[in-house]
Amino acid sequence: MALQGPEELGEQVEEPEELEDASSISPAEEITLPAGPGGDEEPPEEEALLLPWDRFSAWLHCICVVGFDLELGQAVEVIYPHHSKLSEKEKTSICYLSFPDSNSGCLGDTQFCFRFRQGSNRKSSLGCFLETTDRDAPPCLKREQGHYYGYVYFRQVRDKSLKRGYFQKSLVLISKLPYVTFFHSLLKIMAPEYFEKQEPCLEAACNDIDRWPTPHPGRILTLPIMGVVIKVRIPTCYDKPGTSQLVQSAQSDSLVSIVLPTIHEVDLFRCFYPVFFHIQMLWELVLLGEALVVMAPSPAESSDTVLALVSCISPLRYSSDFRPYFTIHDSEFKEYTTRTQAPPSVILGVTNPFFAKTLQHWPHIIRIGDMKQAGEMAKQMKVKKLKNLKTLDSKPGVYTAYKPYLNKDEEIIKQLQKGVQQKRPSAAQNAIIRRYFLELTQSFIIPLERYVASLMPLQKSISPWKNPPQLRPFIQQDFMKTLEKAGPQLTSRLKGDWIGLYRNFLKSPNFDGWFRNRRREMTQKLEALHLEALCEEDLQQRIQQHTEVESVDLVLKLKDKLTQAEKEQLPVRPGTLAKLKSHIEAVILALPDDLQGILHKPSTP
Amino acid sequence: MALRELKVCLLGDTGVGKSSIVWRFVEDSFDPNINPTIGASFMTKTVQYQNELHKFLIWDTAGQERFRALAPMYYRGSAAAIIVYDITKEESFQTLKNWVKELRQHGPPNIVVAIAGNKCDLSDAREVPEKDAKDYADSIHAIFVESSAKNAININEVFIEISKRIPVVDAAGTSGKGFKLGRQASESRRTCC
Repeated sequence: MALQGPEELGEQVEEPEELEDASSISPAEEITLPAGPGGDEEPPEEEALLLPWDRFSAWLHCICVVGFDLELGQAVEVIYPHHSKLSEKEKTSICYLSFPDSNSGCLGDTQFCFRFRQGSNRKSSLGCFLETTDRDAPPCLKREQGHYYGYVYFRQVRDKSLKRGYFQKSLVLISKLPYVTFFHSLLKIMAPEYFEKQEPCLEAACNDIDRWPTPHPGRILTLPIMGVVIKVRIPTCYDKPGTSQLVQSAQSDSLVSIVLPTIHEVDLFRCFYPVFFHIQMLWELVLLGEALVVMAPSPAESSDTVLALVSCISPLRYSSDFRPYFTIHDSEFKEYTTRTQAPPSVILGVTNPFFAKTLQHWPHIIRIGDMKQAGEMAKQMKVKKLKNLKTLDSKPGVYTAYKPYLNKDEEIIKQLQKGVQQKRPSAAQNAIIRRYFLELTQSFIIPLERYVASLMPLQKSISPWKNPPQLRPFIQQDFMKTLEKAGPQLTSRLKGDWIGLYRNFLKSPNFDGWFRNRRREMTQKLEALHLEALCEEDLQQRIQQHTEVESVDLVLKLKDKLTQAEKEQLPVRPGTLAKLKSHIEAVILALPDDLQGILHKPSTP
Repeated sequence: MALRELKVCLLGDTGVGKSSIVWRFVEDSFDPNINPTIGASFMTKTVQYQNELHKFLIWDTAGQERFRALAPMYYRGSAAAIIVYDITKEESFQTLKNWVKELRQHGPPNIVVAIAGNKCDLSDAREVPEKDAKDYADSIHAIFVESSAKNAININEVFIEISKRIPVVDAAGTSGKGFKLGRQASESRRTCC
């Protein structure tokens, strides 16, 4: 790290002091701090241009308060900031999704999250700016495109002064960012204060958020909110998986500052505890994008479990729709529960017993009991036959006819069971499961990465005066052939039908999403290499050998290239674009005056 | 060098110059047309005090009445509070006394209190005699300054005084193990309200 101001020295104090589990914690040295003497307090240059509410919008779409009206039922009482736009349909979704279903008790405070389809296509004025901050995020932490998350803090307490006898209200954060742990921590600070102090509290909170730095991956962000400072670091796609955590310094006061070790990771052990004998099978089901429903006693449990499922294939992004909490009022209810076609590739979390009947035909059902009572050791559970799932009081477990492709890993089960017997801390159990999933997913994905890398044309086939070469196509047979020598057996001791698993995966939306993303990255890399090659050419010499028309054509083409490179943020070597600009300038200056005038005019968009 | 984060809040009537004091301290600038604060604004500044770095996490609260109820969020966990009044407004000095009362009842037990009579550049329009304020501050063992954010008078000084009164934390985390002679003076002056 280069020059540091006193502010940055400050962050170093938070270097990990107690490294209990070195694999899940990275030393602060690895954390890239923003360059320059300003440290974490100085907003980066590009943020200087932001308008009021732009910073807020980079984090949240809006904040809603959902209450219960005796005549209307659930209703959005407040939307903050007042200028935020939500369609009627979106408001209806938020209303129903922000309250527990009628049958779940949830007395006291409950936190959960939901996800819903964005109604209208609204463009953010920030669009372009956010894309650049999003580029460095790992796939599973990128901003949602067509969905919003709703993060809910629901309070239900007895209140005799109210007609209904209960105070029931939810404070809901609507965002496109999948930072579940972060937003739940934020709500834990905001909501109790809000319920006590009402609107000035929201005003103050929104005002705080509107001065936050934008959620830029890799930077340590200091986020003041209502008298407390939250410190987080959003992981980047360049982090070594499993090593991107911040560590709380030893002596710190939660009334002063809070360091969040993770912004998005859920406690996998707690979530999978009721079904931990089947985690490996669940991993396969999620990987293959199978239709999966979680039936849980409360929205908190259903949303935690769905998020745990979706994250178990990380660093792969789960590409299908998933709904941590789904109700019968959801606008996709019909679409997702119809019996006229096969169940869609989605993961739903539900609490309404009605679904036990509606989704009876679904191929894979996870039933979760009350997690609070899970103190006792889970008994060895067999996978249950679907026909046994009929009634409300069906036992917890996984109901499916699915036969896993891979042989069961007894080791991990034993390790976790031993942990339960020895009362190993939940955090350690969580780390074990997380590492297990990570190794499994990586073993699975490495052969694919290797094969796809081989589709890249050779460097020498890039010619500055021809179009960049195309990626070779993905041919399933060729890929399968590579598995014989360089398959997952190199990194995983698990036996079983890996080939069958790959064959099925290649048909799944997850493969499609992953491959699309890789292809885009590689195409951009090719464009970048091509551009670099072009910049190395002697353009002066070339235009001397060509006609004026061809030179003009060259200028126009180069200008196009430049615009594309800037717009797509092509991964070119530093200085390439400056070089290209000076090339363009030099070619123009070699042309007659009248043409120079025309070519110097700014291009019309 | 050890770094300590110290939460500091500014309290006081609307328009007495709380935000201006913070701006002067953090940015060394002054804007006569500053907007009223909403909720609270937050800034930090790190200063060296003896062999420690003190990183002040400054919560500059809104003086407007509608944000009154939010104050506990800001003084909760604070190592120090700077209560500001305007020497040209008697009323703002009465409000200050109410803040002292509230901090006594609900604030952190060891909070360092500093009283700043701001706008001392406008002494022609003075309504609060310096001696009255100083006597009051002494009676509650608070730091006292008359300050001017506009002319940069006694702004850094009040933070230095706060640093001096912050209880020492032994680096090893075991209090009472070492005894630093240099700190005795400030230790004996340490007070709580």
